[in-house]
Amino acid sequence: MSTAATMRPAATQVSGTTKGSGAGRPEPPDRLAGRVGMGVIFAGLVGITLWAGKLVGFSWGELLGNLDKVDRLVDDSFPPEWAFWPRLVDPLLETIQIAVLGTAGGCLIALPVALLAARTVAPRPWIYRVSRMGMNLLRTMPDLFWAMLFASAVRFGPFAGVLALIAFTVAVISKLLSESAEAIDLSVLEAVRASGGGWIETVRFAVWPQIIPHFVSYTFYAFELNIRASTVLGLVGAGGIGMVLRTQLSVFEYDRVILIVLVSLAVVLVIERISEMARRRLV
Amino acid sequence: MSAAIRFDHTHVVYPNGVRGLDDFDLEIEAGQMVVVVGLSGAGKSTMLRAINGLVTVTDGDVIVGGTGVRAAQGSGLRQLRAKVGMIFQDFRLVRRLSVLDNVLIGRLAQVPTWRSVIKAWPKEDVDIAFDALERVGLMDRAYTKASQLSGGQQQRVGIARALAQQPSVILADEPVASLDPVTSKQVMDDLQRINRDLGITTLINLHFLDLAKQYAERIVGLRQGKLVFDGAGDAVTEDDFNQIYGRAMTADDVLEAHVAL
Repeated sequence: MSTAATMRPAATQVSGTTKGSGAGRPEPPDRLAGRVGMGVIFAGLVGITLWAGKLVGFSWGELLGNLDKVDRLVDDSFPPEWAFWPRLVDPLLETIQIAVLGTAGGCLIALPVALLAARTVAPRPWIYRVSRMGMNLLRTMPDLFWAMLFASAVRFGPFAGVLALIAFTVAVISKLLSESAEAIDLSVLEAVRASGGGWIETVRFAVWPQIIPHFVSYTFYAFELNIRASTVLGLVGAGGIGMVLRTQLSVFEYDRVILIVLVSLAVVLVIERISEMARRRLV
Repeated sequence: MSAAIRFDHTHVVYPNGVRGLDDFDLEIEAGQMVVVVGLSGAGKSTMLRAINGLVTVTDGDVIVGGTGVRAAQGSGLRQLRAKVGMIFQDFRLVRRLSVLDNVLIGRLAQVPTWRSVIKAWPKEDVDIAFDALERVGLMDRAYTKASQLSGGQQQRVGIARALAQQPSVILADEPVASLDPVTSKQVMDDLQRINRDLGITTLINLHFLDLAKQYAERIVGLRQGKLVFDGAGDAVTEDDFNQIYGRAMTADDVLEAHVAL
């Protein structure tokens, strides 16, 4: 095309007279104010730490003076009572079952909650605000709180543990997943809408394919959290190995307690590692 | 009713106060191939998106196939959008889905939600999707993941998705701006062939003026949300372009120059 050649603009000449002379180079900004600010913040943190230590009655004397008691505890605990081991198998399986059910139930509920609590996906702004508020409320409560709540609501036992972990999982995973949903490529959503797709279709075809990898990864992560949490849930009466731990602690059978701690540690570590490997492989 | 699309004193003001279209009037006859030119920010994208309600018309109206966009809501809006296929500069495919699933997105307005959610597509809709893929020469890639295709192929999947809607109008928003010159011509040829074979009214935003001249039956020029040029594709002159752009043409405005570089 002839117009192209004739209409190419002339390259503009760059004048380079002051090159290397240093003229016009900006002064580095004054950092003194920043340094003073950092000093004030650091001093403040030290002050808060000392104040908190005084408040909880922290004392080096008490810490170091009681080392002999720790010594006696260790003496009582070792060697572990290995013969107690067969009585741990069933509670351990129960602990794992609680974690599996809590994870599955929690993640299934977390999925719609996360979609409604993602600003870019929620069908209406008010739905987003309500979901986000509910999600934040849920997250302020720790797993042990849920366990205590459900243990008194539905009686002591594994079912309370499952309910507690479901609540805990929804709180953690819906937050993570809603943030993933807010970070997806939104342009595809417009394409699905332009084709005449409604909200459900847009979520199914534009949002879901983009968040599947995150969802799978978070499910495994929730399982790892829940395996750890479910070992201590029994301490407040929500089933599993923790209930055995509580009983043995209350009768000062420290050689059994140490066995429970060691076995739980081993199981948690092994399952966590397997889950981590699966997560890496899948995502 | 003669016009396929009629802009009737259309105003689009965005929530941030930016004016997209300013008292815009235009009629487009059924089956026409119209190229829209103008600087970026002139309102080209807004004009296309006002047709299928992706942007909100704040005053006046756009009449598409006898239906006013402004009053359309819910399923009415979905049915209007179903008749208007759209093609995007950045393709907007769901990269993790297969080519066929991407094309079937064009059938969403017709397929019951419970079926599309579990991907239990009715046979006739799958047939329509395959026909659309055949038309852009990608039938053999139906089960490939969309992300594995080249840019030109992805844009043709985008065209197939629009075709699967069996639309009466196709809107193409800078369809070749992300493609190299050779692929650009292939995609423009596809759009032209579809316009001629199926008689689908086609509106294309372009910023390459030589492509506009080559393919347009009619060229429409926009500047600051207003219509500043309207004429036959082969009648447009360099002066007309200078007027639309408010400046002299440069090499950047011409695709051939990019080939030469």
